[in-house]
Amino acid sequence: MKKISTILIMLMILISISSLAIADEAEEDPEEEDEYEETSEGENETDDIDNNTTKEIEIMNNSLGCEIRFLQLEKAIIKNLLKGEMAVDVLKGLDYNTTDLEAILSEMKNLLEDVKAVNTSSNNSIWLFVKYKHEAINLTKQFRESIKELLNGEKLKQIRERIKEMMSEELENCSKMIRNKIKQFNRNQLHKLYGIIGEANNTFVEEYLNGNMSLAQLKIQISKTINQMNKERKYQIFSEIKEENIKKKIHAQSQVEDMNKNKGKGKDNDNGNGNGKGKGK
Amino acid sequence: MNKKIISIIFLLIIVISLTLVYTYYNNFVSEESHYDSPIKTIDENNVSEEIDELFIEEDNEIEIGEMF
Repeated sequence: MKKISTILIMLMILISISSLAIADEAEEDPEEEDEYEETSEGENETDDIDNNTTKEIEIMNNSLGCEIRFLQLEKAIIKNLLKGEMAVDVLKGLDYNTTDLEAILSEMKNLLEDVKAVNTSSNNSIWLFVKYKHEAINLTKQFRESIKELLNGEKLKQIRERIKEMMSEELENCSKMIRNKIKQFNRNQLHKLYGIIGEANNTFVEEYLNGNMSLAQLKIQISKTINQMNKERKYQIFSEIKEENIKKKIHAQSQVEDMNKNKGKGKDNDNGNGNGKGKGK
Repeated sequence: MNKKIISIIFLLIIVISLTLVYTYYNNFVSEESHYDSPIKTIDENNVSEEIDELFIEEDNEIEIGEMF
């Protein structure tokens, strides 16, 4: 009898310990989930089409949105070209060999011409935007790595300080065009929004377009107007705006997925120049 | 008598352990469902966030990285 009771006691202890072990495993689970999330994020970083680009594509469902994005890309390339040319001039003055850097700048100039020549109304404009942006990022990275091989951190810092505020007529014109196009885009969005709200305040629109009211102030005014409405109307307007935003996101996401699919096919089918890969829709 | 007491004590240990494990798992599930809960009331911030997404800031730029 004594033996049986000892076995029973041992069994009880084992059960108690095993339940504690289960609880311990449960504590470890969240860590495992974190590890998985970290891996996924790491993978996303290496993806060609990152989250920023997907966000930028969202407004490219119309010609004006496409024009804005291509102008912005043009501006970013001009800015880097100016800085690169200035750096090459400085290095030449110090008797450095700048052949590699000049070759990269030459490629960047060709890229700028390609970006300027894009027909923003064409079907494959989104695909071209992603492609050219990717090329611009790669060339910038190549330049950065090449210049790092020539100069140490301190000298690079000095050059960076010297050409911090780079401006040129081309860059200034590009900035002006972007501002005007963004104003046009926002005006269109305002009209669409007032269409949803059901009442238009043309004074706000005019003041914004004349530059007497900032976009931030305008948005506050619109939010106030919506928040003053009754609960049902507010919910209805909120839903319609949200629907509009979700549609944009879905459109951008489907474009990205199409591009990824075509990229997979392209590896097998074409010679890498990418011609003929449209939006797919 | 002794045997009975011992049995009761160990039964108690099992019950407590099971209760602890059950509570732990339940907490876990309720925390997850808390994050998934949809917006039921719309506040001013929800409206502002959606309005923000409709417009583009005039100083918005595309980042392709720095040259050096």
